Amino acid sequence: MLNEFLTGNEAVAWGAKLARTQYIPNYPITPQTEIIETLAQWQADGQLEADFCSMDSEHSVMSAAIGGSATGVRVFTATSSQGLELMHEMMYIASGLRLPIVMVNCSRGLSAPITLLCDHNDYLGLRDTGWIMINAQNNQEALDSTIMAFKISESKDVLLPSVVNMDGYVLSYTMEPTIVPSQSEVDRFLPPYRPSHAFLDTRKPMVQGVAALIPDDYTYFRKQVHKAQLNAKHVIEKTCVQWHKATGRHYGLVEKYMLEDAEIAIVTQGSISTTAKAEVQEMRKKGMKVGLLRLRVMRPLPKEEIRNTLKEMEGVAVIDKNLAPGLGGIAHSEIRDCLYDIEEQPIMSSFVMGLGGKTEEMKQFAQIVDMMKKDMIDKRGRVRFV
Amino acid sequence: MYNELKTLKDIPEEDFLTGGSPTCSGCPAEMGLKMALKALGKNTIVVNSSSCMSLLCNYPYTPLKVPWLHSAIENAAATATGIVRALKILNRHSTVICYAGDGATYDIGIGSLSGMAARGDPVLYICYNNATYANTGGQWDTATPFLANTKTTPPGKYSKGNLIPPKNMIKIMGAHGIYAASASPAYPLDYMNKVRKAQAMNAPAYIEYFSPCVPGWGYKESLGVKVAKLATETCFWPLYEIENNKITINYKPTQMRPVKEFLELQDRYRHLTDYDISVIQGLVNSDWKELLGGESCKKT
Repeated sequence: MLNEFLTGNEAVAWGAKLARTQYIPNYPITPQTEIIETLAQWQADGQLEADFCSMDSEHSVMSAAIGGSATGVRVFTATSSQGLELMHEMMYIASGLRLPIVMVNCSRGLSAPITLLCDHNDYLGLRDTGWIMINAQNNQEALDSTIMAFKISESKDVLLPSVVNMDGYVLSYTMEPTIVPSQSEVDRFLPPYRPSHAFLDTRKPMVQGVAALIPDDYTYFRKQVHKAQLNAKHVIEKTCVQWHKATGRHYGLVEKYMLEDAEIAIVTQGSISTTAKAEVQEMRKKGMKVGLLRLRVMRPLPKEEIRNTLKEMEGVAVIDKNLAPGLGGIAHSEIRDCLYDIEEQPIMSSFVMGLGGKTEEMKQFAQIVDMMKKDMIDKRGRVRFV
Repeated sequence: MYNELKTLKDIPEEDFLTGGSPTCSGCPAEMGLKMALKALGKNTIVVNSSSCMSLLCNYPYTPLKVPWLHSAIENAAATATGIVRALKILNRHSTVICYAGDGATYDIGIGSLSGMAARGDPVLYICYNNATYANTGGQWDTATPFLANTKTTPPGKYSKGNLIPPKNMIKIMGAHGIYAASASPAYPLDYMNKVRKAQAMNAPAYIEYFSPCVPGWGYKESLGVKVAKLATETCFWPLYEIENNKITINYKPTQMRPVKEFLELQDRYRHLTDYDISVIQGLVNSDWKELLGGESCKKT
């Protein structure tokens, strides 16, 4: 175990190395480049076991990741924004082939207009692809989640790829004190990948990626992905317990912060959560009954945890660092869905914040709570840009 | 060095692509994969791009006796890179081939293929060229020959069919400094020996297999090999290879037959006048002359 001062990019490079990733197809894109540059340097210095393989596009990266994983090795890669969009076709194929690839996405807003700074539209575009989706709030969590993602993805009850999201620049290029686990700690936690469901071996021929032109067959395979997502919930919880035992650091499907006796809940994802929590503390000091729910895992969506936590609230302010144009925030719709079948629903508003790296200051969260109170008096949820 | 097939009797009997696949009767593309697998043997992994051949395996059936992976149309080469890298990590040796159509190769997947060749990944990429997007019913791509009728280049009052001359992918791949060759179902020994030669190189290689298409080109299903043979006898599809940037022509017809004999067997050229055919003859003549000139540049 080492106490280091690392950027988010360096932290996840450590995660990939400690997970004993075997194959790393890659392609550069801001703000992810430092991840692959770090891995490239380690390979040049003989400190990385993996095959570091620079490709011709992100589409080719995910294709090679699929080829490698379908052959039977542990695969890691990283991308961002436009790169993730170019991969999109292959994302469904990776999950449909049940390949436990792990990818880090450094969130960045999507063009047009082009931006280099962070928002979550790239990451949330994956929500129907069948990938496990984990959003880290700091660099430590990004490192830890990268290692945990392999364990979750490779579980026989899951066998789906995972994406670990980390906010571009805010985390990817920002240094934070980070604990780097020892190799032996990680080895005890994560055994080598030895697939029995998908491999390419001429001694035991297998075909992968076959056509299922009969609708019932197609439905059967898609439904298997659905079931695996449902299974993943318990696997993630179990993996979090094991990681806690191994390192002392605890994570869950969601994070509940100062929610006991709260009347208003702020819901967040990613690095914005740490700023919001600081302001929740300030509001609590003033006697305001405000708490925060952080959506750490977006897929599988922890519906019961969300419902059970938010059903007691009078108001729920869902903060989205993303935009479904014409609708509002993406998580807002998803969370409203979780609360559909309770009798007394809280007033719920959507706050679209931090698009393209727009400033997120502590005081803005107090302003959001003020606006939320107004909506509660009006008994009407609204969509607002902050 | 490789184990050369000298006569048809030398061709291995064992098949790794068996009967029962859902291709059209008399499909030369299926023959191309069958022959390649005969030449390569059991220790082979096949990657298909989305195409007619990616429908070989239809759940829950497969006509293949070797491992096979299909993911999408534009990425067979990149996928194969992942496989050869993983095999190396696992310390296993198998021949990895891509078997991809011309649309996937010339157009949508050219970046992926170029990347594979440039990285030096030891993959044998076989493009079966039926000169259209055949699986979607026969639309134009940049392998479509001049004046051919396709579903998206139909002849009409204001059109003579495809007016865009095709690319030369063999030269493009040869320019990557890798082994690149043309082949034909009418010359099975030439094709299978090229496949074996590429296999023995353990380096990226590109073979383009001329693949007449029964519904796309409009000929009788028993005539696939004849159509392919006439393509070579007329010098419309010459057999040659590029190695270390040097061109070798593998077969020179003693007498070049008129291209009309090749064209008149196919519905896709049915709309052409004698003048149009003479224009195609002129193009074939100049391409053949250029190829002969290219060959004479090499040391003898």
